[in-house]
Amino acid sequence: MWARLINTALGLWLMVAPGIFQYSQAASDNGHIAGPIIVTFSVVAIWEATRVVRKWNYPVAIWLLAAPWVLGYENTIAIVSDMGVGVLVIIFASIKGRIENNYGGGWSSLWKKNPEHIQKSDPN
Amino acid sequence: MTEGYKHIPPGWDYNPATWSQRIPIVILAMIGFFIASYLALYQLDIISNVWEPFFGDGSVTILNSKVSNVLPIPDAALGAFGYLVDAVTGIIGGTGRWKKMPWIVIVFGLAVGPLGFVSVMLVVFQPVLFSAWCTLCLCSAVISIAMIGPAMDEMLASLQYIQRVRRSNASTWKAFWGVQSEIEKVN
Repeated sequence: MWARLINTALGLWLMVAPGIFQYSQAASDNGHIAGPIIVTFSVVAIWEATRVVRKWNYPVAIWLLAAPWVLGYENTIAIVSDMGVGVLVIIFASIKGRIENNYGGGWSSLWKKNPEHIQKSDPN
Repeated sequence: MTEGYKHIPPGWDYNPATWSQRIPIVILAMIGFFIASYLALYQLDIISNVWEPFFGDGSVTILNSKVSNVLPIPDAALGAFGYLVDAVTGIIGGTGRWKKMPWIVIVFGLAVGPLGFVSVMLVVFQPVLFSAWCTLCLCSAVISIAMIGPAMDEMLASLQYIQRVRRSNASTWKAFWGVQSEIEKVN
């Protein structure tokens, strides 16, 4: 739960930071695009059945590590912020947290040969 | 509540189609519907002002932008329709609907999922293209995103059920549409 909330906060930070620190256009656009995406994935991953969505943050976070150099940021705060958020999002997205309920094998059951929900269904 | 226990999917601890699971999502969808309807009334010039406490003329900029008028009907009207679909498909069916009417659960899941995604896209468009923010548009996006997680467990239960139907000798097509005789063949 808290790992998802921290990543949500980091995504919100990406959205508001460009306005606070007068980012360049490229750095600003990048924050305004990556921020809402990270917020979305992190909020959806709060629920146990969709916890796997936390991992969708990995590619976005890896992009944040590269973006300052690919897009040529000049603002030091923007460089430190994007790369710092990238590292933190990867760390907190890797935390699975507690899963208290069973979901018949979850989403991966849909492409497994003999998933949990089939094993546990009575052949009537 | 015994009704809820009766329909726990195999390999699960709870039934994702109980009313306590679904009502909060329906309430969120109704709030989203009212917000989007209000914004649509402004876009259709039925009301002349829009409530905007934080971002000055941000809402006016966003709601009159080219993106919001790219379709024949304003985007907020489409959003309102989407929320209405969410609410209606959230209400229809009993507590065993993940099994008894998979089609409605799949429509519900598809309406909630992609609608949430479109909301995020509209949030992204705001500052990147127009350098403005719109408070009620952001509220609508928050509601859309909050609905996705709690709605998807029921979708998963229905997809797993269809997977079991496919492995059986029952007709997947008929089971999808909730034909009683086919539903009874599969657990």
